[in-house]
This record gives sequence, structure tokens and C-alpha cells, in this order.
Amino acid sequence: MKLEEQIPRNALVWIIATQFVLLFPHLGRIPLWVLVLYAATALWRAMVYLGRWSFPGGYLKSSLTVICFSGVWVSYGTLIGLEPTVALLLIAYSLKLIELANQRDAYMLIFIAYFVCLTEFLFSQELLITLYMCVAVMVNTTSLVALHQPGQDRFNFSTIRRAGAMMLQALPLMILLFVVFPRVGPLWNVPLKTHTARSGMSDFMKPGDVASLSLNDSVAFRAQFEGEVPDRSDLYWRGLVLSKLDEGAWRSLRWRDIPGDQRRGEQPELVGEYVDYSIIMEPTQQNWLYALPYATTRDRGILRSNDFRLVSPVQVQDQKRYEVRSWLEVPLDVELGDWRRGVDTSLPEDGNPQTRVLAQQMFEAAGGDPEAFARSVLDMFREQAFFYTLRPPLLGENPVDQFLFGTRRGFCEHYASAFTWLMRAAGVPTRVVAGYQGGEVNPVNGTVIVHQFDAHAWNEVWLEGQGWVRIDPTFAIAPARIEFGLEQALAEEGSFLAETPLSPLRFRGVSWVNNLRLQLDAINYRWQLFVLSYDQERQYQILNRLLCSVGQSQLVFLIVGTWALLLVPLAIAMVWRNRGPRLDAATRHYQEFCRRLRGAGLPRPGHEAPTDFARRVAEERPAWAEEVAAITRCYESLAYAGDGDPAALAELKRRVRAFRV
Amino acid sequence: MKGVLDNAALGSARETPMKELVDRAADEVGKVLLGKESQVRLSLCCLLARGHLLIEDLPGMGKTTLSHALASVLGLSYNRIQFTSDLLPADILGVSVFDQASNAFSFHPGPVFSQLLLADEINRTTPRTQSALLEAMGEGQVTVEGETRALPEPFFVIATQNPVHQSGTYPLPESQLDRFLMRLELGYPDPAAERQMFVRDGTAPKPEELIACLSLEQLAAIRAAVDEVHASDNLLDYLQRLVAYTRNSAEFAYGLSPRGALALLQCARTWALMEGRSHVVPEDLQTVLPAVATHRLVPTSDYAGDASALVHELLLNVDVIPG
Repeated sequence: MKLEEQIPRNALVWIIATQFVLLFPHLGRIPLWVLVLYAATALWRAMVYLGRWSFPGGYLKSSLTVICFSGVWVSYGTLIGLEPTVALLLIAYSLKLIELANQRDAYMLIFIAYFVCLTEFLFSQELLITLYMCVAVMVNTTSLVALHQPGQDRFNFSTIRRAGAMMLQALPLMILLFVVFPRVGPLWNVPLKTHTARSGMSDFMKPGDVASLSLNDSVAFRAQFEGEVPDRSDLYWRGLVLSKLDEGAWRSLRWRDIPGDQRRGEQPELVGEYVDYSIIMEPTQQNWLYALPYATTRDRGILRSNDFRLVSPVQVQDQKRYEVRSWLEVPLDVELGDWRRGVDTSLPEDGNPQTRVLAQQMFEAAGGDPEAFARSVLDMFREQAFFYTLRPPLLGENPVDQFLFGTRRGFCEHYASAFTWLMRAAGVPTRVVAGYQGGEVNPVNGTVIVHQFDAHAWNEVWLEGQGWVRIDPTFAIAPARIEFGLEQALAEEGSFLAETPLSPLRFRGVSWVNNLRLQLDAINYRWQLFVLSYDQERQYQILNRLLCSVGQSQLVFLIVGTWALLLVPLAIAMVWRNRGPRLDAATRHYQEFCRRLRGAGLPRPGHEAPTDFARRVAEERPAWAEEVAAITRCYESLAYAGDGDPAALAELKRRVRAFRV
Repeated sequence: MKGVLDNAALGSARETPMKELVDRAADEVGKVLLGKESQVRLSLCCLLARGHLLIEDLPGMGKTTLSHALASVLGLSYNRIQFTSDLLPADILGVSVFDQASNAFSFHPGPVFSQLLLADEINRTTPRTQSALLEAMGEGQVTVEGETRALPEPFFVIATQNPVHQSGTYPLPESQLDRFLMRLELGYPDPAAERQMFVRDGTAPKPEELIACLSLEQLAAIRAAVDEVHASDNLLDYLQRLVAYTRNSAEFAYGLSPRGALALLQCARTWALMEGRSHVVPEDLQTVLPAVATHRLVPTSDYAGDASALVHELLLNVDVIPG
């Protein structure tokens, strides 16, 4: 192998290091045997380097490929989808190592590595991950640098300095591109994540659903208020309205369930106090957005549903930022339509007979007044032996009967569900609302961090003259849940985040851990605010602010113009530096003559001197010999004999013009 | 093309044009060294350009024959030194001997005091003795025992050497190599020439029997005429491109020195004169380049070929005409 095709040993070490650096963040979502494969290929390549083993043969490589593909298929059950595809890419990236023989292979491997860097961002775009991937890019660039340093026959850590310097040099351009590069929609759709699928709430609620969310300490969304954060017990983030009882589960109304004339919903009169805030929501793969009632937004592409929620017409696939103004005192649905009343009072034909009886009794005792009736139900929850627990017993048939008269232990969804049953059995329009309650206020930047364990279910009861009124039966059982959060409410039981013993949230008591966590969250919030949510609209806004008001078309001109300003002088400078020397007239004519001969299939290579060329042409085309010799003589006397005679120049010009191939 | 072939116009008091003189000399040398016209002409070119000549090849290839023949044809007084490993500088330069008769030291000049010095197998001797020739070749004078003595005019050195990898050789140092204007390799003769050698064996002329073709005056006139040969800007551009390539390209351990570049130009001028031209054309440069540059260039250790491959690459990669 030629020396320039060899891979320097230093580069080889860096290439292998890059593989492991890139594999590391994927470890949680790929089968473990891929790690084994990485170790095996690295070992193999090292053995090849030491001269003990040789590169694998064609059969072995093909069978390895087949085995790995089958492995992915067995591990995931499919080859389609994001994780299997990424796993395949990672495997191919690893297998290529045992084919790494010359520089061309090394280039391919390094360029695949850059692509592998990108795949990590399909799963997470968090700040820490981004920083880690920067390091990964640097390590990969180091292998590229090392590849261009021949003769490095041992591992050299300082190579990374050059790569670091290159990345620092690229940083301003990266920032500039980030700010001004036109944000276009995705050119292709990334397949859905098959395994992490949907997070957060689903559009139906069975007993136990919310409780299972309570085990999850990941962030659902962050809200940043302009001004004071409202009282914690007012932070009822509505996400879903569950009106329909479907085989034991509360379910929201689907689009087709709603009659055409009801789909727009009432437009309430905007009066009273309001709060402004923005929300950055983690991807849910669902359509609904979370907000305090009654929420309005000026963001384009966000719709309002007929039950006063905000919805996105497309599923929230990435972190989404939206601005909301919530009118806290606006009554909703002061006039209740017949269809709505029908939906929100309907119950199945049979089931839970004891509950129905109890409802009738209590309703009559309350004198037929829905408000007094609701209060008496809450009193019942408060005064009788009901318990708030994350570990309720399982319920069988007639679950509400079992709950109210038997177990009496439950989580918010049990109480919300039982409350709805009781109210509806008495004919009072009531529905379950699912969302999040409360949130943690970060003292560092005033953000309200809402975690998955803040998931909650409560009720809305329609009262004459007041519209939909929020009633939270959980508040009656466990006021601490609303006032202080889940951790306090479950303090006795000790079940808060019991399954994630290392969650930093469990160490809120240790002040420096808590401080660190909140500081990190504040940084993360800024990251999301300024980097992740920087979309076309934000770009437009920011450029507008930076450059005073410009129109869309002007902006395009501006971006193109910036590039032109940057690149055109660069291009001119490069052309200027690479321009040939200025040719004298005789040489120009002679070059023209050479061009004509090239057209006739007789090119003059750069190193061939005129007389040699003339001789060769004379041999190949004797017919032209005389004229070619004359022109060459002419040129030679002008260019080399120092014969600056204008007549000779004119003769050369004439002869070249007259020369026909 | 007026006056180009009319070399007589360049100098005065010469009936025979220079080209014919040189051609005749080359033919004369060709009588003893068959089938080596280009090397013969190049070696003449070297001497006419006031340079010293190094001939390198295997034993028995005609190195000594060529140098003898050149000496005879140029009509110069010559001395021959066979370099051996025990040769001392004094054996070349001369010694002072106490003369009892005159009761004083008298200098006995060494073989270096001649118009043409044949240094046979120069790399068989130690670097110390090799270096004794340095001053003589560079400056036309020698300093012995504190006294500087001028060498005859003209003064040529024709050295032969065996390839360096042969046993019992001391490679010439770069500074010494640089003193030689050209280094030639003879190579095997072609079959026809070799057959002719076999056939005329015994009747072949001896180098000493060749007739002198050039007088000292003619030699001086030719040397003077060399300086008159015109090198145009275009040609100097080409020369500079060649030199720049050797200095910038990664294959060269180091580039051509200014002395090397001047040597190249000087040889190209002489070659142009020998071709009967009053100006240099790129072909002249290309013709003399391998002989002039190969021993001055060293490839880097990464480069797969040797210096002559490198020079070939140099010629291929530099444009004769810009644009």
C-alpha cells in the first residue's frame, strides 16, 4: 500500500475512541449485544493492527451482517422505526471498523460518525446531551485531523487541541448560521419513536393511570409567568376534558362525537383578571396543550376546542413553546346547550346500583340544589374514612360501588370518577378534567416546573348562573396535595417516587442538591427558550427586533445579501489569488492556436515546449506541418528571441486566425 | 528567424561557425564512444559552460574513455589522478621540497596544475582528499602551505565515480557535488553501437589519438558567446516556475539553490549556442535539466522514487507556457 493511503496509528486510536464516545449516549435504547459487538470489532481491529489476526473474509463479513440484522429484528420485533434504524446504523458503523484498511475507508467511517452524531438529537436535544455531542464531534474531528498527520506512530492526545481550535473557529459561523439560516420545514419525516411512544396523559383515564404517572419524575412542561405566579392552589393546568364513560374508562370526546354546530364552542366575554405566561412543553405525541382556564393565545397554529382548551392541529413531536393569556374569572358556558347537558349527564344503563341510590338520597337531602349536593358529597369524602393513597387496592365490577362502600382508598382519579358518578346519577352536568396541578416554582428564574407526578384529575360541575365550576374532590381528602404537592400528601406513606431512588427530586431536603438541580433546570429552561424553540417565527421576530421592522421578502434579501456580502468578496479574493500571470499578446495568440489543435484532438500538455509540440503535430498530421512550424517559429521568436517586432506579432495573429484544423 | 543560424555574427575573427566547431568535436569524441551522442554533447556543453563534469556509472561503461576523449578533442593539457583510499591532499595539490642546491624550499606542483584534470573514481578516496579539490574547483586556485597559487586558465575537472552503493566508496558531500555543473550517467550502449564495438575491436582509435578540434582561442570565444545568448522573460519565468516547484512541492527534501538555478540557465544558454541559436528556448532547459539538477535534488523519505524520477516529475508538472 502506498504510504499516503495508510492510516496513521494515532488516527486509528482516535477513530476507535470516537466509536465508543458515539455509542455511549445510545446505550439506554439499543440492545446490550451492540455494545459487545463494538468491543469485539475494536478488539479485532486492534489485533489486525498488531499483526496477529487478519481482516475478515467476505463470507464472514456477509454472515456477520446477516446475524446483526436478524439480531435487530429479534430485539425490536421490526426493522422499521427510529430505534431499529438507528441501531442498524450503529451496527454498520461498528462493522465498518473491521474493514478499515486504507484512508478511503477511514474517510467513510469518519463521515458516518458525523451522521451518527446527528441521530442522537432525534431522541434528545437537552443541553447536557448537546454539550456531550459537541465533545463527540470534537473527538471525531480529531480523528480527521489525525488522518492528515502522516507518520504519527503512537497515540497522541494533543491532536485534540487542533480539533478544538478548529471547532472554536467554526463557532461564530455556527452561531451566525443558527440565527440567520432560513428555517425550512423538515424535508422528510422521521419515523415515530416506537418504544418511547407517547408520554404523559392519554385521552382516556382508567383507575390507576394518573397514579402510574405519579411515579415519573420527568418534566411535563415549564411555565414562565409575566409577573407574579398565581397561588399554587389555582394552578390547575387543564389538558383534557373527559366527558364520556367508555367501558370503565373516562374518555374525551372525539372530533366525530361532536355535532357540527357544537364544534366551535361558545366565545366567552373576556372580563376580570388575567395572567400572561409562556409554556415550553415537552413532546407528548398528542394534540392537546396545557393551560390555565380560560386560555387564549395569539400564537398561530393553535386552536381552541369547544370545551375551552388549547389544541394543536398536529401532534407535539418536539418541544413546543406557546404564549397564553388566561382569564381566571371568566365564567364558561353560562348557558348550557342541550347536547352538552346530555353528554355531561349520561351514565351507562346499569352498574353501580348502590351509588345511584346514594346519589338520589343525598340530592334529596340537599333539597335538590346542585351546589349544596356537591358540597355534601365533598363533606362525605372529608368526614368519612376515605384515604388518599398511591397504592389503592384493585377494583372489580361496579368499581364505584366498591370504592365508595368498600375500599375507600384511592388516588385522585378514583375520587374524580366517583364524584362524577354521584353528580350525574342525580342529573347534575359534571365532567372529569385531566391535567396537572401545581408545579414547582424555581426560585432561580421564577419558572414553574410541572413534572409528570403533578398529573391530576378533578371535576367541573355546571351550576346555574355560574357556568362550569371547578371542584376538586381530592382537595377534600388530601388538602396537602393541592397546597404543598404530592410529596407532602404522600409523606406518611413514603411512596413518593419510590421506584426511582436516585431521582434528584427525592433529595429536595438536601439544600445543595436541590440548589444544583434548580440551577440546572434554570439553565435548561434558557436553553429551551432560546435555542430549541427558535423556529421560523422566532427567527423572524428576532431579526425584526435586531434590524428594525423588515418585511418577509426584505428578510430573505437580507439573508441572501449577508451571504453574498460574506461569500462574494471571499470568492473574488480566491479567484484573485489563483489567477494566472498576465499573459503577453504573443502567448495569448499561441494559446489560442493550442486550443484549436486541442479541438482537433491534438492537445498540448503543459510540459511540452512549443518546438517539441510542433514536431509531434507534424508527425501526426503531416498536412499541417508547414503552417504549424511557421506559427511556432513566429511564437518562438516573439517569446524567446526577444524579438518584440510588432510586425511579427501581427503575423502570428494573422497566421493563428487563418489556421483551420 | 533572421541571424539565428548565423553564429559567426556573434563573435569576431572566426571563419567556422561555432555550431560546426562543436559538432565536429562531438563527432570526434563519438569515434571512441559509440552510441552516446547525447551524453557527449551534454559533456561538451558542461565544459563550454565553464563547469566541471561528474560522470557516474558502473565500471567499464566508458567513463574514462569519455573523459580522455574530451581532453584530447579540446586540445588541453591534462593530468590524470587515480583516486585511491590512501591518496592524500598533497598528492593532488603538490608539496614544497627542500632543495639542497638552492638551499631553499621549492614548490613541486601536483597534478591539479593542468588545464584538464581527470579525477578517476573520485569517490574511492576519503572525504578529506576529496575536499582538497573544493577550492580548486570553486575558485580556480589552490592554497598550499599558506601560499595561494592560481591554476591554469582554463581549468576543468572531469571526475568519474562509481555508483555510491558500490563497496569501498565514500559518497561525495553535497557541497562537493554542488561544485560539479553536471552529473552524467552513461548507461549501456544500444545493441547496434555495441555490435560495432565488437566488430572494430583492435582497430578502434585510442582517445589519445583524436585530433584537437578547438583551439584555446576558439574555446574562449565560445565561452564568451555563451554570455551573449538571450534568455527572454518568458524563459526566465519558466525557469523560476521550475525552481519554485522544487522548493514548494512536498516530494523535495530541499529545493534548488540559486547556484543550481544559475547553473541551469548557464547550461541552457550553452546548449542553445550549440544548437545554433542566439536565444534560449524551453527545450534547452528541459534538455539540460536532468544532468544539471538530479545530483542537487534529494527526495523526501516518503517519496517512492529516486532523484531522477523526481526530476522527471518536475518536468511533467511545470507548465512551459502559463495560462
